[in-house]
Parts: sequence; structure tokens; C-alpha cells
Amino acid sequence: MNEEMYATALKTALAEIQNVCPDINQTFVLMDNGTIVSGDGQAIDPHIERAINSVQSLAEKALSVGGLDDLLIDGDEGKVYVSQFNGMYSVMALSKHADLPFLRTVTGIILPTILKVLNGIGSETALPTPLKSAPIVPPTPQFRPTLSEPLAKDEEVEETVEESEEEAEETLPPEPLETREAETEAETEVEPPRERIDLPSQQLIVDKFGGLMVRADNVQIDFEILERWSSLLDVKEIQEVDIETFSGKKTRCKAKVISDQKFEGRGLIRIPEKTCEALGLKRGELIRVKPVLPEER
Amino acid sequence: MPVKKKSLQVETGEQVDWAPKAEVKEHVTDIRNLLDRIKAREGVIGYILRASTSATVDIKDPSKIIDYAVLSASALESAESLSEAFKLGAASNIVVEGKGLKILLLTKGEHRISVFMEKNVDHTSIYKELH
Repeated sequence: MNEEMYATALKTALAEIQNVCPDINQTFVLMDNGTIVSGDGQAIDPHIERAINSVQSLAEKALSVGGLDDLLIDGDEGKVYVSQFNGMYSVMALSKHADLPFLRTVTGIILPTILKVLNGIGSETALPTPLKSAPIVPPTPQFRPTLSEPLAKDEEVEETVEESEEEAEETLPPEPLETREAETEAETEVEPPRERIDLPSQQLIVDKFGGLMVRADNVQIDFEILERWSSLLDVKEIQEVDIETFSGKKTRCKAKVISDQKFEGRGLIRIPEKTCEALGLKRGELIRVKPVLPEER
Repeated sequence: MPVKKKSLQVETGEQVDWAPKAEVKEHVTDIRNLLDRIKAREGVIGYILRASTSATVDIKDPSKIIDYAVLSASALESAESLSEAFKLGAASNIVVEGKGLKILLLTKGEHRISVFMEKNVDHTSIYKELH
């Protein structure tokens, strides 16, 4: 299921919510990749777009207090109610005397349920668009035959790595059919990471971070992932990683362990804001990350 | 738990005839006294009182002062932007709920007040008291 289908389903859901609650004047959903879906299907006014995007900035600031759940603005001529669900935000412009408890109940049930159903459908069909709420990190195996082979000796591992690299170079264009099949399977199936002896790559969800002392070339990855890569490649530690966006942009960064406990084990890669800007990345997007072998550097 | 109170008062110096300095000071003191009383309630974490030239911060956990100040400023900015975009008129109050805490933001005269509290605290009674 692709992003467009999510947007269509959310748009329909918003329209239905608007039918149930006549107090709602306008509805929007700010998706975790920054896309704004309008309930009436009309083009979004730039002022409204900017305002809704400011919610994303507020949500970032609210990370220090555990994230943003709800925001209610009570104005003289109406209200705005922003509510978080599955890592996305619904933004609703309401009349002055809107029944908030009823609205909370309706949106709190309908939107998460629809996402759950969509995720269910998405996992059965090809090419799901992973959401922030589903921190499942599917691996992208490149050479199927080596997947089930146990890692017997270190020498064997090294040899196979070299062979794989040579093979990869020789057969790069066109890509072997098996590789493509393996990649497609990895994208469609949701399964725990498996051991490989070729150069591993992993899809991770982008999370931005910033600060005065943050170096733009340092990214943060789960300790488990770095450890798995270092044992797989038989190196002391993974010092650098290659990042590749799905639009094809690449960069090499120093790899650090995620320093904040609350971001651990969620399949995230924390990238400095400047680097995100340079790569055109938004929070919640998926990127491919590969460790860099010491001799590659 | 030690309570750290930061008072960043900047005096404007000049006063117009119709607003004697003593009265303005008294007004600020009234709000601050009221906020101090509210802060003593169970579940209330602290407050930030902003005026055009001064700010008073009283948060129970001093290590959180910057986080809370940044969040409160960002919430005000976002609320302003949303109010303008959706033509809500003047926002009488704003409530931001996070995972573990809640912030009530309101404007009283030239003062912008942010009250930080645990999620189970009834913010409407605080709002009524401050408004």
C-alpha cells in the first residue's frame, strides 16, 4: 500500500468524521512524513499549511516532555483541536461550542482503527509504506544462498565477503534476478533480521535531532544494529555508515550509538537536522543504511 | 526538593502619567502571588510569567527550565499561527498535553502565563482562577 492510498483512506475518514460531528469546519491530517491531507479534498491554503507545519515543530520541542499528544486552542470565534494518533496529527477547526469529549472519542477510535486496517492490508500486499508507529525494520538481503548458512569460521566469513563484493562488482548491471526477488521479499515481508555474511544493509526510520554541539556528520543508530554488523563483518566496531535515500542521494557519516534511551530499539536512525536538510529527508522517512568496512574508508 | 526561582525583571524606567509605576508593579505582584498559590497545589509543576520586558520562571525541577521555556514559546507561536490561519480571533487559552504533563497557556493583559502541571490536574479551575 502506498502513501497515496493512505492519504485517500484518511481523507475519506476525515470526511466521515466531519459528517458525524457537524461542529467540525475543516479537518486535516499531518502525516509523519510531513504530507498534509485535507478532509474536503480541496487545495490547502498556504497559511493553513504553514500553521499545520508549525505543529510538527511543536511536536519536536515536546519530545523533551515525552512528545505531543493534544493541543487545544480556544479562540473567541472557534477552536482548533490537534490530536496525535499513530505518530500523525489530526488538525480540526471547530465551532466555538463544539462537543470536545464526543469529538475526542470519535477521532480517537476512527483514525487509529483505519490505520490499523490499512497496515493490515499493506502487510498483505506489495510495497508497504512503513509508518512511524510500526518500527519494524526489514533487512534487505542481497544473496539468498548465504542466508541460512551458519557463520562457522572467521576465515570463511572473510572469503565469502570478498567473493560477494567481487560478484557484486562484476554483475552490477544488470542486477541478478535473485537479488531483486530477495529485495522485493524483504520489502513485503515483515520479519526479524537474519544473519548474512555479505555486506549488510538495513532500512531505518529517520529521526531528526539538533543542538549546539551536534556535528553534522554524526548519525546515531541502535547499539544492537552496530554490534550485529561488527560481528557479522568481523570488525571491532562500525565507525562509519553509508546512507542512501530512496531518491538516490548518498552520504557517508560517522556512526554513533543512540544516546537517548527513549529512541532505542525503535528502528530509528537519528540524523542531524543539517544533514537531513542536505539529503532532503523528513522525519519518519525510510532510508537505507550500510556499514562501511575499515578498508573502504 | 529545592525550589529555584528565577526572576528576570527588567525595569522600563519611564512611566506615563496615567499608569503609575507602583500600580504596574502591584499588578505583576498580584499575578505572581496568584501563580505561587496555584503552584502550591498538588500536581502543579511550575509556571512561566512573561511580560514585554521581563519574565519570571518558577519550576520545581530547575533542570527542566530551558526545556519548558522552549516548549512554552513554541506552543505560543504555533497557537498564534493556527489561530490566524483558522481565523479564531484572540485565543483565550491554549492547552498542550504531552505524554506526562500538561501546559495551560493564557494571556492576561500584557502578561503571557504558562502553567505546567501533571495530566490529572484540572486545568479549567486554574484557568478560571487566573482569568
